[in-house]
Amino acid sequence: MIRLRSFRLPSYLVLIAFSFVAAAPFVWTILASFKTGAEIRQSPPTFWPENFTFDNYRTILEDPDLKLGLFYRNSAFVAFANVFATLFTSTLFGYIFAKFDFKGSKKFFWYILATMMVPAQVTMIPGYLILVKLGLLNNLWGLVLPAFVDAFGIFLMTQFCKSIPNDLLAAARVDGASEFRIYRSIVLPQLRPAMATLGLLTFMTNWNAYLWPLIVLTEQDKRTLPIILTWYSNQNTNQVQLTMAASVLIVMPVLFLFALAQRWIVRGITLTGIK
Amino acid sequence: MTPSSTTKPLDTETSSEEVAKLPTKRSLFLTGRQGAERRFVFGMVTPMVLYMAVFSVLPIIWALALSFFDYSARRTGGPILGLGGENPFVGVENFQKMADFSQEAPLEVRQFHLSLRTTLLFAFLVVPLNLAITLPLASLIESVHQRMRPVFRNLFFLPVLTSAVGVAIMWGFILSPQRGLLNALISKVLGETTIIAWTSDPSLTVLGIPVSLFAVLIAYLWQDLGYNLIIFIAALQGVPQSVKEAALIDGAKPWHLFRHVTIPLLRPTIMLASVLTMISAFQVFDLFQVMTRGGPNDQTRALSLDIYESAFRFQRMGWAAAVSVVLFLIVLVLSLVQSRLLRSDWEY
Repeated sequence: MIRLRSFRLPSYLVLIAFSFVAAAPFVWTILASFKTGAEIRQSPPTFWPENFTFDNYRTILEDPDLKLGLFYRNSAFVAFANVFATLFTSTLFGYIFAKFDFKGSKKFFWYILATMMVPAQVTMIPGYLILVKLGLLNNLWGLVLPAFVDAFGIFLMTQFCKSIPNDLLAAARVDGASEFRIYRSIVLPQLRPAMATLGLLTFMTNWNAYLWPLIVLTEQDKRTLPIILTWYSNQNTNQVQLTMAASVLIVMPVLFLFALAQRWIVRGITLTGIK
Repeated sequence: MTPSSTTKPLDTETSSEEVAKLPTKRSLFLTGRQGAERRFVFGMVTPMVLYMAVFSVLPIIWALALSFFDYSARRTGGPILGLGGENPFVGVENFQKMADFSQEAPLEVRQFHLSLRTTLLFAFLVVPLNLAITLPLASLIESVHQRMRPVFRNLFFLPVLTSAVGVAIMWGFILSPQRGLLNALISKVLGETTIIAWTSDPSLTVLGIPVSLFAVLIAYLWQDLGYNLIIFIAALQGVPQSVKEAALIDGAKPWHLFRHVTIPLLRPTIMLASVLTMISAFQVFDLFQVMTRGGPNDQTRALSLDIYESAFRFQRMGWAAAVSVVLFLIVLVLSLVQSRLLRSDWEY
């Protein structure tokens, strides 16, 4: 085989150059988080910290206004609740849409698909007014309840459920398994790989969400991490080293976990081609 | 499958097709297997329909309705959804105002025009720039050793996984005038101290496009590249090796291979990726809100930011809803183009 060996070296050089660009913001942020305030105000800036210090992290962890533990809990609650809700509704209705015909099922399915075209900016105003009526402003459930049904998830699961053999379901019925039991014990195990992908994508979306939490959560103690990060950054415009350390503490740990699970996330995107 | 299920013979009534596709009438009252299936579907779909009515249908209809009212959540208004009363019906006035291009137009109208222009510029710049980077990058990654491909791909995909707020803050610091990395690098290259206020100097423009918009654009490109990259890598893996080899045997240079073989074969994927990229570019909010807050002088007030500020900062929800309908129409047209592209089958 010839392969494209002849131009490999230039390929590597360009890719490595690009790697520097891709990594630069992370590296620059991490390095800045170890600099002193005096060094960060220096112009031109230093690249490598001259007086390597952990003070910025100490300041953040000891800051009584920045209850990182609480905000991590808020974000984790919202992300996990959304993952559970989305996985439940997506698998259940994916199964129902793939394997049952009921009056209007096709129209209903197309309606759900069509809602994917509606930008968040359209539904956020009435969505906010609905939450006001339900008394869910400044309540973390306000970030969960409106997102219980995920059009993309239902679409994904319907596609996967179609490949489950009907004979398998029929056999279970002959054995006298209840319908919910069939969903739980036969359909769900078949969907495991798809659930891993959908669960990760849902977690990532909710963990990083900014616009909707910004509208729903106005009380400091209820806020999720991305809003806290902008709040902290605005509090410390002259202490960039603190903001950078906060970014490391808020963005990087979960980013690291996502990076480990990247294979599944990438698979989900290439599988569906949907962002 | 349990062992017993394989030993029991299937009778004709439970053959796969019949079990799966049920008759649609009166079956809720059936006893036995079919009745159980109907009850299961009915029992699950009913709450779903009710839920969708409140959290999906209602918001869409409500948003459309709002766009015909002068509405603020601060006023009491009429009995139905707070419309009417102190929140009067204004017909198509909100949409008429959008067509007022005169200098005397109200502030929100002029801001809308500016936002629409900014968002169109942004979206139409993002797509070609994104493709110009991701396509060559994808085929470069495909050209290196198999072991190294995931390494580069994962690195370039990392920004996609990063929170947009984090991206905005990191890039905000890189672009900082006195202490930023970019100005430091430019100063090094030019050999003299260069201070450019990338995100805050309203007088800086390139070809009539504000530099602050380019600042957000760079951060957005950096974050968003990974998506199209993996889509193109997947598509490239679908290109038959024999086609590439044939071209190489015929003496094609790498560039010609890319230009005359790879690009034409990837055309359907490229079209689809372009539309998807454009749809998301129209809805970018986080980067604009955190990096520039729409400034300087509203130069980076994207449509989504305009809607947010009108609705939640200035409490002009009727007007904001009307602007969101415009955004919806743009996205709708693009989505229809996308579904056309998806439907047409391509082969090579």
